[in-house]
Amino acid sequence: MIRKYIALLRMKYIEMLAYRLATFVWMTGAITQPLITMFVWMNIHPEESESFVFYFMAVIFVERMTSAWDVWELDREIREGTFSNWLLRPLHPIHWAIAENIVYKWLFAVILVPVWVAAAVFWPALRPHMTGSQVALFLTAVVFGAALRFLLSYSCGLLAFWVTKVAAVYGVIDVISLFLSGRIAPLEMLPPALREWSEWLPFRYMISFPIEIATGTADGGELARGFAIAAGWMMALIGALQWLWKAGMRKNQAVGG
Amino acid sequence: MNMRRYGRVFREFFRACLVEEMEYRSEFFGNFIASFFGIAIALLTVHIFFYQTDRLGGWTYGEVLVLLGVFNTLRGFIDFALRPNMPRLLEHVRRGTLDYILTKPVDSMFYVSFRHLVFWRLIDVALGLGVIGYGLYVERYVPSAADVCMFLIVMVASLLLIYSLWMMLMTTSFWVVRIDDLSFIFDSFFDTARFPGSMYRGAVRLVITYILPAVLITNTPALALLGKWRVPTALAALAAAILFLWLARRFWRFALRFYTGAGG
Repeated sequence: MIRKYIALLRMKYIEMLAYRLATFVWMTGAITQPLITMFVWMNIHPEESESFVFYFMAVIFVERMTSAWDVWELDREIREGTFSNWLLRPLHPIHWAIAENIVYKWLFAVILVPVWVAAAVFWPALRPHMTGSQVALFLTAVVFGAALRFLLSYSCGLLAFWVTKVAAVYGVIDVISLFLSGRIAPLEMLPPALREWSEWLPFRYMISFPIEIATGTADGGELARGFAIAAGWMMALIGALQWLWKAGMRKNQAVGG
Repeated sequence: MNMRRYGRVFREFFRACLVEEMEYRSEFFGNFIASFFGIAIALLTVHIFFYQTDRLGGWTYGEVLVLLGVFNTLRGFIDFALRPNMPRLLEHVRRGTLDYILTKPVDSMFYVSFRHLVFWRLIDVALGLGVIGYGLYVERYVPSAADVCMFLIVMVASLLLIYSLWMMLMTTSFWVVRIDDLSFIFDSFFDTARFPGSMYRGAVRLVITYILPAVLITNTPALALLGKWRVPTALAALAAAILFLWLARRFWRFALRFYTGAGG
């Protein structure tokens, strides 16, 4: 399996290099919305400007590191029928998707981390105050977030076996996550009802949770509870994905036969 | 220029696109829901901000709603007339089919920017006007006739500015043929216009006020309708609109020369 993955990673890496400009443009794409939101919050609470700068820069970073695009790919491939090409190959298609995710996110990290370090030299607000264990927990939480978003996106993509407008369904989910993952506001700024929802739904663990660890707002019991809920959602999504896959395969054959 | 003839050509574009769209009538309901959902989300966002404060860059809740309404109306116009044409121009340039357009007896800039229209996007215009009305109601302000006049004048200036900026971006497609869609660049910039310009700080504020006048485009119409207009500001908006239109026109001509040179 490891040998197969090395081959997959190498292939995806070459593919990425072929579309350098598109990759670059795509990476810079999601930056304005968090920046505008940052200005809004700096205006509402000017005395906390520094922490908002750190928070929203972290949002940009974590959002890129956990972003998921498989739903668009699956939607298109299943609708147009090219998905069958993947089924003929000896490896489950999900491994290709995972390899692609690893390669792109590695590239994002290689570019974004030095940018962050350089910016932190000039801008003290960006310097993190984290202990070694906090860094380890932060990275673990980012991996959890990436896995959650990937699983959600892939499961949604599989719905394309039944529904033609999967992109619209995912769009709605994405908008809900805009509020509950901490992209519109740090979760402690939300009205209490929304905040309570955010604790139990998976969205918080996709973006906000790693940042809460980095800023030290989540620790001790809160931390353990957060990881437990995230792990629970991960199990649920893996189950859903497997079930959708099996049912989808049956459906796919029924149409093809 | 003979405006009558261009009016007639535009009506023909309108008719052709309407016929095309009528074939997808069943999508209308879904599109309507999507537009409604979009504006609901925007309202919820403003609501969350005002849960923590009662002023945003010096603007009250009602005033920000009027601004949001103006923003949504203008974006509706962009999605109606401009956005559908962007990927098509890129395609024309890439494949060389722009030649056919250049031989047509209409102005090429007019043709490439208005040939394709997406009608259901006008729902966003209607919803935007609705939000403006709601904002005025929250603010308990009834605009006078002069306010409405000023609003209409600066709104025209804003539309011209948007068209010019969009056209300039679209014209760059003669050089950047690799990217499928450049409109996200415009969106990133235009998104800043969703909020009061006084909210931004430092260099960002300078850039979006004077260099790329995002703030001018949405804030002036909103202020005009709220009775806070000043004649010099309106004149400045009109002057900026004409200047940018002239620049866009020059840039398009320059690009065409470049295109002909490369093709010949």
